[in-house]
Amino acid sequence: MQELATGQRVNVPSDDPAAAAADVQNQAFQSQTDQYLQNTSSLESMLQNADSVLSSVVTSLNQAISLGVQGANGTLSSADQQTIAQQIQSIQSQIVQLANSSYQGSYIFGGTETQSAPYALDSAKPDGVTYSGNTGVNSVEIAPGQSMKVNLPGSQIFQGAGGDVMGSLQQLITALQSGNSTSIGTATNQVTTALNYVSEQRVFYGSAVDQLNANQSSLQQEQVNLQTQQNNLVGANMATVATDLSQAQTEQSATLAALAQIIPQSLLSYLK
Amino acid sequence: MGSLSSSMWIAAEALGADQGAIDATSNNIANQNTPGYTREVPVLTEADPTVEGNITYGDGVVLQQIESIRDQVLQIQIADQTQQQSSAQAQYNALQQVQTPFSDPTQGIGADFTAFFNSISQLSTDPTNMTDRQAVLSAAQTLASDFNSTEQNLDSIQSGLNQSVVQNVTQINTLTQQIAQINVQVGDMQKLVQDPGSLGDQETQLIQQLSQLTNVNEVQTENGLTLTTGNGTPLVVGDQSFALQTTAGPSGMTDISSQGKDITSSLQGGQLGGNLQVRDTVIPGLLSQLDNLASQFATSFNAAQASGYDLNGKAGQALFSDTTGAGAASNLTVAIADPSLIAASSDPTSGSGSNGNVANLLAVQNQALPSGESPMDAYANLVSQTGTLTDQAQAEVTASTASLNQLNDQLGSVSGVNIDEETTNLMNYQRAYEAAARVVTTVDELTQSVLDMGSGVTAAP
Repeated sequence: MQELATGQRVNVPSDDPAAAAADVQNQAFQSQTDQYLQNTSSLESMLQNADSVLSSVVTSLNQAISLGVQGANGTLSSADQQTIAQQIQSIQSQIVQLANSSYQGSYIFGGTETQSAPYALDSAKPDGVTYSGNTGVNSVEIAPGQSMKVNLPGSQIFQGAGGDVMGSLQQLITALQSGNSTSIGTATNQVTTALNYVSEQRVFYGSAVDQLNANQSSLQQEQVNLQTQQNNLVGANMATVATDLSQAQTEQSATLAALAQIIPQSLLSYLK
Repeated sequence: MGSLSSSMWIAAEALGADQGAIDATSNNIANQNTPGYTREVPVLTEADPTVEGNITYGDGVVLQQIESIRDQVLQIQIADQTQQQSSAQAQYNALQQVQTPFSDPTQGIGADFTAFFNSISQLSTDPTNMTDRQAVLSAAQTLASDFNSTEQNLDSIQSGLNQSVVQNVTQINTLTQQIAQINVQVGDMQKLVQDPGSLGDQETQLIQQLSQLTNVNEVQTENGLTLTTGNGTPLVVGDQSFALQTTAGPSGMTDISSQGKDITSSLQGGQLGGNLQVRDTVIPGLLSQLDNLASQFATSFNAAQASGYDLNGKAGQALFSDTTGAGAASNLTVAIADPSLIAASSDPTSGSGSNGNVANLLAVQNQALPSGESPMDAYANLVSQTGTLTDQAQAEVTASTASLNQLNDQLGSVSGVNIDEETTNLMNYQRAYEAAARVVTTVDELTQSVLDMGSGVTAAP
């Protein structure tokens, strides 16, 4: 009856101690898997956000490159070059703003220094900016024993050895202000190198999102497996239980009928 | 030489004997549903014969005694099985309560462990998020309070059992007193080779009741029965009963002593033995495992906290109060109230968004504690233990009940009243009585004939 009412074969540990203990573990795994799924979806939003920020950075850099190419044209007047320099400066501050993007109150390009904006414009610095973030990288467990890196520090993305976004922009500005076409051309090439480098860094976020998607499918599969396992452990086979119940009912009424036959019988019934 | 008057006396004795036999049968029928009643059988023997010369005349029948049909061995077996059954039943009743807090895998300590570590895992995706940090503290709070309530639950089951133990002892003392009173009378009757009859039945009943409470050894002596506990502590010797005393022990549990000697640990069987087993062995075993789990988990997690830095850049403080020894589980509390004190970071910079220490915090979930098991395994082990103990007790109840029923059936077929048999006996004795009465009539007619021989009057045809 209890089994039918709850759909569970194991309602208290004594119904099957080994299964009850295994069920405790199973429930824990199910709950952990839920949490991994939740981690996965939180991270996915954050990483997608970072990816789209970097895509805007790429767009801005493309603008800077075309402006640089324009600026390197020797026929331009000095005043035109100054105008272009100002446009690049506004692109520079745009990129600094993008590098200071935050997700749910945490700055995403400051390494693990997430509580203050990592970049500030600073014309005294050769790169034109100061970086107050760090090089820390956080990892999050997304499946049992499986962690993934969830951020890249801004210093790596925007001031990397393979391409320096901040530095090359500042050089371009300086070159435009000085009006030296050769320097403008060199600086523009450096911005192009930086663009390629940022695109490479972007791959990290793109593939992290892919990894999370794959992880989500496998966690959902795991969830189904765990539920099946749990059902095998403690679930009742309703068909069997129902059959058993009706069999027991039949037996009980047969017994009662037999008892009703037996009780009145004694020698006295046959004596007058 | 036989005479009419001796024939008359033989018939008269036969009437008396048959009357006695009918009495016994009537008593059996009257008591067919009386608990503990033992069937009585009239013991008829030939009267001493009269010998005259070469002829031996039978002198009729004598009703020697009315004997109760008992089977001493069977009764001892029943007493033994009764104490086993009662002990198993008492353990089963208590263990059903014990396993309750471990029954629902979606609640209680096990689920709390997972929820707690899940909250930390959630925090790892956004280490400076105060809502997530608060959630870790709340989950820790839930875990601690479920440790508290589980232990308190076991404690209260234990004190409930302690009350039952005290009641059991009172019941035992009442019964031994009653048995001692009857015991002397039964002994005296047995000395005179008399059947103790209903007194014997009463004593047997009382001993069976005593067996429900504890394991009793019976020894038949000249002065009636001597009853002792399983380890030989006297309960009843002749007309004297020895009361068991209860005293509050150091652990708050009641100790049982006899004549100044503590016999608590030696009492086995019956409700008392079953209650003592769960009170003194099963629950303390579970409690100590629960205490170990609480204190080792707290220590281990606090160590992981200490290896990281909180949101203020300070080394992690203990999250759980440091508890050890008995009562550790019920004393477990969350030692910090400020969510920024959770040491998620591996960076001693204030306000760091590092989650570098989360891996250490999460590792506590799967690392073996000093007990050799991970927290979850240790808890699952408790679940399996309570289940196994309850399951075993249940199986023993079923087995011993079946065996007790079988023995009672056997005793019923030996000592119980069978209405068919009694009816048959009644008819036999009735016919015998009628026949003896006919003999009296016949002899009376013969005597009349003899008396008429002198008067010349012929006896009526």
